[in-house]
Amino acid sequence: MAEPRIVIEPDPVIEVFKKDIDRTLLRANLKLSPEERLRKMQSAVRSVRVLREAYTKSRP
Amino acid sequence: MTATDFPALITLLTEGGVEFIVIGGVAATIHGSAHITVDLDLLYRRTPGNVERLAAALVPIRPYLRGAPEGLPFRFDAATIHRGLNFTLQTTLGDLDLLGEVTGGGTYDMVLPEAETALLEEHRFRCVSLRRLIAMKRAAGRPKDLNVIAELEALLEERERDE
Repeated sequence: MAEPRIVIEPDPVIEVFKKDIDRTLLRANLKLSPEERLRKMQSAVRSVRVLREAYTKSRP
Repeated sequence: MTATDFPALITLLTEGGVEFIVIGGVAATIHGSAHITVDLDLLYRRTPGNVERLAAALVPIRPYLRGAPEGLPFRFDAATIHRGLNFTLQTTLGDLDLLGEVTGGGTYDMVLPEAETALLEEHRFRCVSLRRLIAMKRAAGRPKDLNVIAELEALLEERERDE
């Protein structure tokens, strides 16, 4: 027997936050495979780390 | 501090035959989120066999309690896992949170029926469904999650619009 689908009731607070979501980023991600999404995020994490280290080293 | 290597951690666990479901930020990424996360959250099955496999799989990456003072007599073995439930660990592959139970979802066996299968190279693993992930984030009730929940719900709308 199939599991009953989880119902997500609209929440007025969430709806306010939803207006600011950049859906172009989401649509771009949805064109990728799950593995590609994971590797893209991994690459971003590494890039942020490199930038953070560079910033830390550059401070007097 | 090591940047968490998500694919390597997932590969290590699947090769070790560990039963787990990816939840949290990495699950959000797998579903299409544009947010960046720094740790891997996993819901693991608490059967004796799986606990043994989990402990064995993590030996090479030296798990230790994240944020705890160095030098504690901590061993992440089956006995430790059985005594505890949820663990926030640092490893040589980065930060790993292991949860035996999660708010808004329950245990591995409760989340499994609706979990989705994902593929990483030749490794198959389970990922929490987008709807369950939203339910978990909502149940956690953390203000910091509001933007993430909004994004996940927008993803659900985008995905269902295309179906």
